[in-house]
Formats: sequence, structure tokens, C-alpha cells
Amino acid sequence: MPSIFTVDPHSGVPIYLQLIEQVKRSVALGVLTPGEQLPTVKQLALDLTINANTVGRVYRELERDGVIETSPGRGSFVRDNGGVGRATRAASDVAAAALDTAVREAKSIGIAADDAIALFRKALARWYPGSHDMENR
Amino acid sequence: MMMNEGTPAISIDRLTKRYGQTLAVESLSLSVPQGTIFGLLGTNGAGKTTTFKCMLGLARPSEGSVSFEGRPLTPPLFERLAYVPEKCALYEWMTGAQLLEMQRRSFSRYDDKRANELMDLFALDRKKKLGKFSKGQQTAMALVLAFSIHPEILVLDEPAAGLDPVHQRHVLDLIIGESAGGATVVFSSHQIGQVERAAERVAIMHQGTLRLAGEVEQLKSDLKVVEATFDTDAPSLNGLSAEPSVGQIQRAGRLVRVYVKGNGDEIARKIGDMHPRSVRILDQNLEDIFLTTVGSSGSAMAADVAGASGR
Repeated sequence: MPSIFTVDPHSGVPIYLQLIEQVKRSVALGVLTPGEQLPTVKQLALDLTINANTVGRVYRELERDGVIETSPGRGSFVRDNGGVGRATRAASDVAAAALDTAVREAKSIGIAADDAIALFRKALARWYPGSHDMENR
Repeated sequence: MMMNEGTPAISIDRLTKRYGQTLAVESLSLSVPQGTIFGLLGTNGAGKTTTFKCMLGLARPSEGSVSFEGRPLTPPLFERLAYVPEKCALYEWMTGAQLLEMQRRSFSRYDDKRANELMDLFALDRKKKLGKFSKGQQTAMALVLAFSIHPEILVLDEPAAGLDPVHQRHVLDLIIGESAGGATVVFSSHQIGQVERAAERVAIMHQGTLRLAGEVEQLKSDLKVVEATFDTDAPSLNGLSAEPSVGQIQRAGRLVRVYVKGNGDEIARKIGDMHPRSVRILDQNLEDIFLTTVGSSGSAMAADVAGASGR
């Protein structure tokens, strides 16, 4: 069975950060539902061909963040209470960070603030096609 | 030393090996924690194979020592240890089946079911003479022998050399699976991507010495490049070279690249104050880190990190 996660081991971004973000995204989007069991550490390591201790670290951090819970002998599961909310907040943090990078990039190549806002409006119009009031504001 | 959780599976202490006038390995110290996968990287002639030979008692260290689980290498350990050399010397007149039979008689931990699964995995002909095997098939045969005894410590010198991409992936899966079961694995590879996937710790050797060691994920987090462009020739940035986080600085006309330890934010801000046209922070993958480390400019930063995390 193909894994629902993918990582790019050759990226300069540590694998564990990529995987934590992916699991949170999957929970936020409902690809993984509350109570659903995650693969074992060994299974996910083999599915993705990555170090098992790296996967173990991902699970520990997700547990600490309240997204999953692990019970010895049974496995790791998406948390019933609060797991989705935490994952959704984490996913919006990712969006905020991406937006921040985009704005920094715009500034670093000399785009003026007003022009940056115009670019942002254009992107909004593209991805939120129904919301005309945003453009008219 | 007391045996406990913290005792490294393998510990190399100031290992030096001379062949006549040639210094193959110079004062190498490394420690491999139990249950981890350790990748050894280096260009040809960096001293990797010599290090492996000294570890396994196939070459006598000129100075320094190697210990396993806190003790010198002794015969009982060979039951639990598997080594796949870079150049596999198998009995050419034997068939694969005969070699497996020899392995069964030599190792109490030999698992015939496992061995046969692995023979199928690498599509090896049991009836064929080993002398007729291709180089890749000989490597695969040596891997079958190594993994058939459920070793607790695996030392693999270029275990994927000569294998096709599918079999290379099988080797990685075997390494990862064995480690997930608690085994300690040390392996070398010229394919940095393999080390990047499987290894949690890595050491980069160059010209017989250790240049960088640490956790792969930590090195990626800690080593960044700040790249800036200017409207005219880039300023000298002499002030920055005194910063402890700054390694080498490369300048090419209007472009400047600063290799930094840490997330790069602080250096990016300082350069930002010099009115650049653009500034960005670039991630480095293991290949970038390797090439910077063994590069002709041999950055001071890399040596610094090795000193901080080598033990």
C-alpha cells in the first residue's frame, strides 16, 4: 500500500520537520481521522525508506503537540479530543510562514508595499474566486 | 567501563594508520551509538576502507584503538557482527547454495529462511558458481550472508556498489529494517542520497582526517547559506568574517554567499543593513554540506562543528 506521506530526503529541510508537517496537514484535512491508527514506526520508516529513529522522533513530537497518542503495545492513533484542532492550527501556522517568506522575497527584490498588496489581491482572486468583496474593499 | 545504554556500540579513539610514509588515517575519533545507522562519507582515498579494516582487526592501527560495546574486539563478537567489504572475495568454485551451507555451519544465528528470502530478493542463482557472478551479484551474495545471521552490529563498506537502483533500494530497506530491530549499522557510500535517507548520524572524512560529524537532521538545521546581491560590486563584508557563526564567504562580482552556522537570520539581517538588492537564506542538503566540507577551501566552520559534535 502506498504511504499517504511523502518526504524529500534530499531537501535541506530536515526530514522530521517535513513529516511532522505532513501528518498535521493530513489530520487537519481529514485524510487521517480521530481514532485512526498510524503505521508503526518501523513500517513507516520502510514505506518511506528513511531512518526509523527519525520516524520515532516525529511520533514523539506529534504526541507532545497533542495531535496523536501512543499506547504501548497498541500503537499510535490520531487523538480523539483536540487532535484535529491542534493540527488545524499548526497547518495555518504553515500557511502564515509561507506567506511571510513570500512577503520577504517580494521585499528583497525591491517590490514596493503597494505593489506587494496588489500581488496579494491577484493571488486571492485566483484562489478564492467567489469572494469579490475582498477585491472591492 | 560499565556496559549501559550510553555505551556506544562502536568507539574509535584517536585512530591513526600509516602505510610506510603514507598516513592513511590520522587521529580519527568517532562514536556510534547503539541502535543507530551511521554513514561514513568521503572521496576515494579519504581513509574509509582503512578505518573499517582497523575496526575489524584486518589491519593493525599504528596508534589509537577501537572498542565494541566498551571492550576490544574479541572472537565471541564475530557471532553477532557482520562485515561486507568493498571488494568481496568469495570462493569462486563454490555455488551460492554451498556458501549458504558453509554459513549455516559457521554461525549459530544463521537463519535459513531469511537467507533464502534474500537470495530471491536479489535474484541470485543458488546453483551458479560464485566465480560466474557479476560484481554486483557478488556484493549481493555478501549481503545475503551478512543479513542471514541477524547481526547486532553491521559494518558495510560500499554495500550498494554495482547494484541496480531496485537492489540498491533493497539494501537500504534491509539496513533500515535491521536498525529498527535494534541493530547498529555503519556503512559507507558514494551515493550521498542513500546516506541522507538511512543514516541518522554521519561523518565526513577527507585525506585521512575527520572533517565533520553530527546528526544529519541537525547539520541541515544548523548549516545555511545567506546569499545577497548588490547593485554594484558586493561590499567586502570583512566585518562579518569575525562573527563566530560565519564560515567561508564567497564573492563573485555583485553576488556574495556567506556560509553560516545557525539559522542565518542574524547574518541576513546584518547584510540587509548594507542595502543589498536581495537577500535570501538557502538550505543545504547533505551533498551541499559534503562538497563544502571537502572543498578546496576546507571551511573553518566545518571543522568547528566537527569539534563540537564529533563525540
